[in-house]
Amino acid sequence: MINIQNVSKVFNAGRPNEFTALSSISLEIHLQEATILKGPSGSGKTTLLSLIGCMARPTSGRIFVNEKEITSLPERFLTRIRRGTFGFIFQRFNLLRGFSALENVMAPAYPTGEKYSLLKRRALDLLAMLDLDHKQGAKSEWLSGGEAQRVAIARALIHDPAIIIADEPTAHLDAKLSAEFLSIMEILKKEGKTLIIASHDPLIYDSTLTGRIVEIHGGELAHGGTIA
Amino acid sequence: MILHPSTIALIASSLLICIMTLYAAWYGVRIVFQWNIKSGSEKQVLLERRTYFTATIVKYFLVIQIASLFLLVYTADSIHTLFAGTMCAVGTFDVNRFGFPTVLLKLLTSILAGLWLIIDHADNSGFDYPLIRIKYGFLIFLAPIIVAENVLQWAYFSGLHPDIITSCCGSLFSPGGKGAAAEIAGLPVTPTLIVFFTALALTIGNGFLFILRARAGALFAALSGLTGAFSFVAIISALSVYIYELPSHHCPFCILQAEYHYIGYLLYGTILIGLICGVGVGILAPFRKIPSLTITLPIFRKHLAEAAVAAFVVLAITGIVVIAGSHYHL
Amino acid sequence: MSKTIERQLHLVDFTIGSVLRRKGKNAALLLVYTLVVFALASVLFFTRALRTQAASVLKNAPEIIVQRTLTGRYQFIPVRYADSIKNIRGIIAIKPRLWGYYYDGGFGANYTLIASGVDSLKPGTIAIGIAIAKLRKLQIGDIVPFTGSDGNPQTFTIAKILSDESALVSADLVVITEADYRALSGIPAGYATDLVLTVRNPREYSTIAEKISRLLPDTRPIVKTEILRTYDAVFSWRAGIMLLVLAGAVLAFFIFSFDKATGLSAEERKEIGVLKAIGWETSDVLAMKFWEGIALSLTAFFLGTILGYAHVFLGGGLFFAPILKGWSTLYPSFVLTPHINFGDIIALFFLSVVPYTVSTITPAWRVATIDPDSVMR
Repeated sequence: MINIQNVSKVFNAGRPNEFTALSSISLEIHLQEATILKGPSGSGKTTLLSLIGCMARPTSGRIFVNEKEITSLPERFLTRIRRGTFGFIFQRFNLLRGFSALENVMAPAYPTGEKYSLLKRRALDLLAMLDLDHKQGAKSEWLSGGEAQRVAIARALIHDPAIIIADEPTAHLDAKLSAEFLSIMEILKKEGKTLIIASHDPLIYDSTLTGRIVEIHGGELAHGGTIA
Repeated sequence: MILHPSTIALIASSLLICIMTLYAAWYGVRIVFQWNIKSGSEKQVLLERRTYFTATIVKYFLVIQIASLFLLVYTADSIHTLFAGTMCAVGTFDVNRFGFPTVLLKLLTSILAGLWLIIDHADNSGFDYPLIRIKYGFLIFLAPIIVAENVLQWAYFSGLHPDIITSCCGSLFSPGGKGAAAEIAGLPVTPTLIVFFTALALTIGNGFLFILRARAGALFAALSGLTGAFSFVAIISALSVYIYELPSHHCPFCILQAEYHYIGYLLYGTILIGLICGVGVGILAPFRKIPSLTITLPIFRKHLAEAAVAAFVVLAITGIVVIAGSHYHL
Repeated sequence: MSKTIERQLHLVDFTIGSVLRRKGKNAALLLVYTLVVFALASVLFFTRALRTQAASVLKNAPEIIVQRTLTGRYQFIPVRYADSIKNIRGIIAIKPRLWGYYYDGGFGANYTLIASGVDSLKPGTIAIGIAIAKLRKLQIGDIVPFTGSDGNPQTFTIAKILSDESALVSADLVVITEADYRALSGIPAGYATDLVLTVRNPREYSTIAEKISRLLPDTRPIVKTEILRTYDAVFSWRAGIMLLVLAGAVLAFFIFSFDKATGLSAEERKEIGVLKAIGWETSDVLAMKFWEGIALSLTAFFLGTILGYAHVFLGGGLFFAPILKGWSTLYPSFVLTPHINFGDIIALFFLSVVPYTVSTITPAWRVATIDPDSVMR
């Protein structure tokens, strides 16, 4: 479970362009469930995602991941927890240009010093699972939209994380690819993974995937206060 | 001033790395006074980022400083022809009173930088930067020493004028002379060797005790420091005699030359590693009880002890080989 | 331990891929870097070669030369002075030398004339050095006029041209018989230019020199080692001056590499942002930047050093020779003996790789500390 207590995030504090992205958010995210963060752009969804996913530190408040407090952890520890716990799928996939699909999937694990052969095996298995093994050597720029999407998902799964975080995954996809994405997410949910998706796409939050919807507006939870 | 390419290289690079270290120490001051790990403010995040900057600088400093120590000795050796009365680097260093202090300070700053990196590594293994203030206090303490070394080096080089008659190692390091160097060189060979090998044996034994049973860590550190320091003395007074196969040749620098198979690098290298890693075990001892370090610190100290023991073992073996293979017999 | 090694291998692998994909920008940096190393290496190799050459030539120079002085200036030395000092312990042999300079106004060149001790030279003939032969386009059998000290011309036939190998000392030499030289120069009989001594033990040079000064107070003994020291100092000094001149270039290079490292394209920044987002720590990105620097530095250092070597030992150091050798119209064209001094390589490393590395510390750190969530915003 991820426990967020009274968390605020302020950018450029003390300067004329000070901006409060989140204010006093308290939230509990349950595991093995799909939670959707719903809200217009600029509402703070992305910031909240980055805090949940151990990518940034809150300005105030506390965050617990599986009962362990991560609020003040130095970057290297935060990153290690993030690597092992979360898999990220970004809005525009953000694959590394000039690298092959296989290399993209393996890239998150390079710093761990894992044996190359083991890592490669795992990456190939993931690509096969997503019907991409024939494209493992293709440079990422040359992949089609759907193929790039699946490489991004495979990359998110390389460390076999318990939680998948996706930031507006269908924002740049057509209906067909969006549906494809949903079906892959269904499979992952069935396997017991937790999903946290920020989206204002009705296709997502109206689907059978959705377990819980959290609405955010202007940096605050829409319904105010804690949501259990 | 002798406008020799190597002296320019040394002065320029020393100045560069000194400036960078001062820059790092400046951030050290800010860290010591403004650090608050619990805070999520941008200021704190920036300070945490700066720690990577300073650690990188000290890492480069260590490497460059050790390399510049060897370059300094090498240069002193190659320009000895410009000074009457000397046959090797010793004479060059003796030309003015800044020569040997420069060498000693370079050595000292290298050792201190090595110890800083050990503390840094330990600090990084704790999830709340437990040693952050100690670490940066140490860096602030180190900064003026580095500046002093640069000043001394500059003073030394500007005071180098050809035609100054200086002493050769034969007179400086000879038992009959006066001064610290002569005292060291004048130590009798056999007792010195006995002390040397005994000290090594004790240190290595203590090291194994620490590695296997995690006992007597502080003692090990003290022994490493003393053995390391004494090893320099032993090289000058005893081992050099076997290497040069001449009872009167005690020069500490000639063993770095090709004709003696560069054995000096092996000897001094192992002493440095043994000294830094061994003393590192002791420096970390006070922090055993810190909660965030209880798991990682013992393992790290064990690794340090292993490195130190390995270095001292190699040193002992080298010493034995040198003596056994020498044509000089007492 | 193997994990650490494996991690570095992965990072090196990634770095090489990353560097190769940005060939354009890295090529420009590599070129400038190599040029800097090339320039520095050339200076260092050239001066080292000259020093070594001078030392080997001076090996055969007289150990002690005794000159007579009056009011601090040189004058002829009576040959009988040799008798006063021949009993000094340690002197094996004393020989008078007869030689001097000759200014050839027509060609603006200074020759050194030396009276030959060898009988093979016939009166009226001379042997000349190869640079003189080239300058005046002379061959064996040609007749050359010299103006004597009395203003009257005397002619000599060229019997021999001195060998190429001895060019460093003999290029501007004219060997002439003693009688002819005395006639030409006006040096009276019983006097010589100086006395050369052969000494048994080099450690005794200064003692012997001291004794000579006491026995013959109007003389000045010059010891060979002092000459060597002077040459060494001069060549080092010239090298130092050149390096200071090049310091400007090194500084420019420092600024250039700092600028290149700081001015990362948006694409590079994004790539690092993605790496941070997918789980790379700051220290991983710093390690990657470190390997990048190493790869570049090793390549530039290796290339620059080899090119410098080729420039000096195969190309005769054509860019730097004039400044480093001195100036004269008479030059031996000698091929420098290839000789590399390890200390020079280290000095080269300190003058090039260290400034480059230091210039990349801040930019590398700045980029390595990009926020992991930067790609999401």
